Amino acid sequence: MSTESDLKSRVPPATKTPLDVSVSGLKKTVTQVMNTDVDDVLKRKNINTNQKFSGKIEYAIYKTLLIFLYVIYAITRYFQREYNRIAIKLLDLAYNPSNSPQLIRQDVNKLQKIPKRLAAILESKPEGDIGGGLPGLINDASDVVCWTVSAGIKHLILYDYDGKMKQNVHELRAGIHHKLAKYFGLDNVPKFAIKIPHTNQIFFDKDEDQKDLSPEKSTTKHKVAVEISLLSKVDGRDTILELTKTMADLCAKGQLKVEDVDTKLVNQELTQLVGHEPDLLLFFGPALDLQGFPPWHIRLTELYWETDNDQVSYYVFIRGLKQYADCKMNVGK
Amino acid sequence: MSDSGSFPGYNQFLEMVKTTLAKVIRSSDKVPQHVAFIMDGNRRFAKKNNMEVNEGHNAGFESMCRILELCYESGMKVATVFAFSIENFKRSTFEVNWLMELAKDKIKQISQHGELAEQYGIKVQIIGDRSLLPADVLKEVELAEEITMNNSRAVLNICFPYTGREEIVHSIQGIMKETAMGEIDYRDIDEQTIEDHLYTQGQPPVELLIRTSGVTRLSDFLLWQLSNRGCTIELVDCLWPEFTPFSMLKILIKFAFKKTYSPSNEEDDELKKKK
Repeated sequence: MSTESDLKSRVPPATKTPLDVSVSGLKKTVTQVMNTDVDDVLKRKNINTNQKFSGKIEYAIYKTLLIFLYVIYAITRYFQREYNRIAIKLLDLAYNPSNSPQLIRQDVNKLQKIPKRLAAILESKPEGDIGGGLPGLINDASDVVCWTVSAGIKHLILYDYDGKMKQNVHELRAGIHHKLAKYFGLDNVPKFAIKIPHTNQIFFDKDEDQKDLSPEKSTTKHKVAVEISLLSKVDGRDTILELTKTMADLCAKGQLKVEDVDTKLVNQELTQLVGHEPDLLLFFGPALDLQGFPPWHIRLTELYWETDNDQVSYYVFIRGLKQYADCKMNVGK
Repeated sequence: MSDSGSFPGYNQFLEMVKTTLAKVIRSSDKVPQHVAFIMDGNRRFAKKNNMEVNEGHNAGFESMCRILELCYESGMKVATVFAFSIENFKRSTFEVNWLMELAKDKIKQISQHGELAEQYGIKVQIIGDRSLLPADVLKEVELAEEITMNNSRAVLNICFPYTGREEIVHSIQGIMKETAMGEIDYRDIDEQTIEDHLYTQGQPPVELLIRTSGVTRLSDFLLWQLSNRGCTIELVDCLWPEFTPFSMLKILIKFAFKKTYSPSNEEDDELKKKK
């Protein structure tokens, strides 16, 4: 019979008891093989499938509810975004400085206090887009520089994750010069200095000044309206890492004690390597992402960004300054 | 919240809705694994409602428990709360002492039998510069950690007394000690080594920060972790005791939606690499 041969082939050869083709015989064989009770196995399997099944239904219900929530969220979000975009456009029109430092100066003069050091996180948009790629990034950077100079802020940090501005510092310099000429007139373009703390380089607005002098000396020699620091990802965690390595090495050699390392010392070193902590950080994207901005340097920095905005526009700048002017600092109290 | 109790069963209904929604969010599989909270505004809440300051802090603590319940129910693994900054020692001695007492009470309460920690299987960790704590508080803290030591479902980091800069320095010091002992070579130190010496070692990266009461600073909280790319920062414009589980739900939905429907940076990078 076919069933008999089937069974024979299925039973593992290890069982030496002669086969009995009946339910009880089968039970016995299985018991021998697996050393467990068949009924028990069957029962457990049943429960398992039952549980799995109800679990699946529960999961399906939750998933459906989730999709439902997503739909509601997407709809409200859509209207919210459109509303924000319109508001942004109107604000942009209302605040438009039309390349005039006088208007910016007027806006800033209304404020109680202005930040001593300003930082901005810039992102380069995809190559194909309007205002994308490197030219777009340089254009954005020069805009921020012009507003900063007009507002009378002396220190500016420009941050981009990949360090594209650092790599193209000459183009950036030309771009800034061009924009400043547009704002202030060709005859009195404000002087500026571009610092790259990571490589310890400093560039001035004219080509011949390009020397690797120590920053303090050169900035006092040349009076500049604004000092621009270019930072990128390497100035953040990587710099702290390098510092740790150096300190660990010195410690292993016995030249530095663990007790001597404190917040003050680390702060001193990092200030030298990267610069001072900014008072205000502007982000021109739709939702704040610090993108690896030097962690040590954002301790008490005021953060400002505009929800759903994706442009480097003047009104973000001036509203950021306004927020800074209104904020109350009480460290710890 | 006080008058809502007048309807019989209303609170139970709310509770049910909350747990269901938590499960719904859990099913999205896009729940932030590590959430940080700056619970700002307890004192202002007390002032606004003509309460004593400690009543404000109590309200804040209750709010925290409600939010944490929701978070753990929706599948979050680690929560970090900023309880006391090293800078807070600058306040008057009276207030500092009083805050210490309060923290001692609350830490005891959380880890007690049948409370939050046991209910959700939470391991309580007190992170920060413990050497600044008074002896009696330290004892309580160690006790709480001991009681909850074997819980493994989730972790609650209580930053007490903590600052982000101190944490980085602490990590550097730890690495220095180990290099001096010859346990690690200074050339082998990388970002991971620093992370392994932070207070948050071995925990998933912080994906979401929530700060209430409209202050737009990090105030020296988790600086290393929060400046990382891809960490979402949510600033909510209400006082902490007024921050309800439903506002939290909204944030979680927003987070999950964003994770589901917009490609993350990592995927972008992968795409770029392929090209």
